[in-house]
Amino acid sequence: MRKILWLAAAVASLMVSQARADEKLPVTGKTCTELQAFYKTLPFTDILPMPAGPVKVSGKPSDLTIGFSQTGFNHPWRIAMLAALQAEACRHPNLKLVVLDGNVDVAKQSNDVHDLLTRGVDAVLLSPVESAALAPAARAVMAANIPLIVMDRDVPTDKTLFIGQSNVTMAEGVAGKMAKDLGGKGNIVVITGLKGSSPAVDRDQGMKNVLAKYPGIKVLATGDGQWIRDPAVPLMEDFLTTYPKIDALFSHAEESSWGAELAIARAGRCKDHIRIYTFDGSNAGFKAVKAGTFQADGNYTPYIADIGLRAALYALMKKPIPGEKTYRFPGHELVLPDSPVVTAANADQWIGRGWGDFEPTADPCRK
Amino acid sequence: MLAALVLLVTAASLLSPRFLTLPNLLNVLRQVSIVGILAIGMTFVILARGIDLSVGSILGIAVVLFAGSMDRLGMAVAIPIGFVAAAAAGAVNGIGIAYAGIPAFIMTLGMLSFVRGLAFIYTGGTPIPINSQQFYELGNGYLFGVPIPALILLAVLAASGFVLGLTPFGRSVYAIGSNEDAARLSGVPVRRFTTLVYVISGLMSGLAGLVYASQLSIGTPIAGQGYELDAIAAVVVGGTSLFGGKGSVGGTFLGTLIIGVLANILNLTGVDPFVQQLFKGGLIILAVLIMSRSGRR
Repeated sequence: MRKILWLAAAVASLMVSQARADEKLPVTGKTCTELQAFYKTLPFTDILPMPAGPVKVSGKPSDLTIGFSQTGFNHPWRIAMLAALQAEACRHPNLKLVVLDGNVDVAKQSNDVHDLLTRGVDAVLLSPVESAALAPAARAVMAANIPLIVMDRDVPTDKTLFIGQSNVTMAEGVAGKMAKDLGGKGNIVVITGLKGSSPAVDRDQGMKNVLAKYPGIKVLATGDGQWIRDPAVPLMEDFLTTYPKIDALFSHAEESSWGAELAIARAGRCKDHIRIYTFDGSNAGFKAVKAGTFQADGNYTPYIADIGLRAALYALMKKPIPGEKTYRFPGHELVLPDSPVVTAANADQWIGRGWGDFEPTADPCRK
Repeated sequence: MLAALVLLVTAASLLSPRFLTLPNLLNVLRQVSIVGILAIGMTFVILARGIDLSVGSILGIAVVLFAGSMDRLGMAVAIPIGFVAAAAAGAVNGIGIAYAGIPAFIMTLGMLSFVRGLAFIYTGGTPIPINSQQFYELGNGYLFGVPIPALILLAVLAASGFVLGLTPFGRSVYAIGSNEDAARLSGVPVRRFTTLVYVISGLMSGLAGLVYASQLSIGTPIAGQGYELDAIAAVVVGGTSLFGGKGSVGGTFLGTLIIGVLANILNLTGVDPFVQQLFKGGLIILAVLIMSRSGRR
């Protein structure tokens, strides 16, 4: 028993000595030094600006703990969102982050939020898996009288602030570009994000809003690409088999678009020049737009979590949040400007300002 | 089971004129190849009255290892790395089950989570693209006009059929599944063979991972999530008993095709994705119902 205690003490002291300066932060694996440089590239640092340095909140001890309950870290978009949060946190030495992974499970995430409350965090940042299911957890945060900042997907209950971009208007932008390119008529197929998830529902709604104005554009078929690559391949294969003439693909996720492009190449249909309109806003996606693989990429940025943290700090310091408005749900909303849809015309300007540092898949139609 | 497939194919060709075309049939074969390979490995396990819930995760770790090493080290090195990891995970499963006496359901459930965690750690959560053209050909190319993944599936089917039907090891797998004590008393090295069965399942997961990575040119840590259930469904629809000792890889192949053809025809006829799930679920229940009836006769 004593041996075990010694061992534990040794391990603990080793861990403490490592937890200094260039400690790698969880999940992203980035150090604060790396994140400081990255912070300069973030798109929205001028919204709720905040100088670097310790944050003082009257009536609180000098150290602040902020909890972040993320949907899950199963997608690089979600990890990029955390990186923005960590980058902001690194600027304020007296801030401590507690980051929890919801595993894309509403029950797990609901428990996570309650765990954050148990740990006595000073504010909660929440990016919910699904809006309605996280409402009770959101109520618990508000009942504990601490700021609740909801990001990306909303909850229909009271909150301090909701921050997000609109998937509906973004999809209208992408679909508008598609309708223009097609000259108002043609046959399209749709590969959605995970069926029932709110961004998939909203992107579909945005597309339908636009298509209502273009009766000449016909949706031949719709399938569920689940945001990822592998389900999109058989879907697109089967669409290609069924329909000899497809003019465009409207695909909710870049990953699914890559899968569809693979299917197009394999089916020997590259020469059909099926136009691809997609979303996600990664640097790889922007490069693919520049290369002509995608005609448009909805610029849905994950770099909003730094604003979320600043909003939480504003709330703790009782500073007014400029630009916040009441809206259809209880609480306030901060509407972010829609980033322009990235097309061949502005791709150069956006490469490097998207998320993710991985390269696009080699386009099988352009080898 | 063959009758069911024939019935489904007939219905499919009536519903869509494009179903019974060579490119579509080859597509179906390619679409089912990944789950088909997993299901064949799963058949070994289920015949021995076990279960392997970790196949999807083992596929995932193999995929990210292939992707992580392909462009740096080349195919000749990258492929063995993925297979060694997959076989090792299978061996740990087997040893835990056969020697430490951990129930297969629990052991492989633990492995499902553990190996998935490794895949996330290895990639940092970000997919790794694969640029090797040669590797892309492996998943997307044709040999004698047949997609290479389909040929891999058929080769695995033939080899597994041979091993299970005609080797002492294969007969022992059935014996272990029917009655483990009897098998032990008649001199079958039950522990060793049980371990081997999980190693085979691990290797098949690695092979399915090879097809996955080469088809999609990407190593994503979520590769194969939930595939264990698809594999089990294919085995069950193919007539192998979950209680061990009864069934065949040929049946599993037919089960895989039935599920694959069903998914294909639902897509071809444009059935709502919400409704598609009803068909898949209904089919699984129906297949088992028919089987239990015919078994009782």
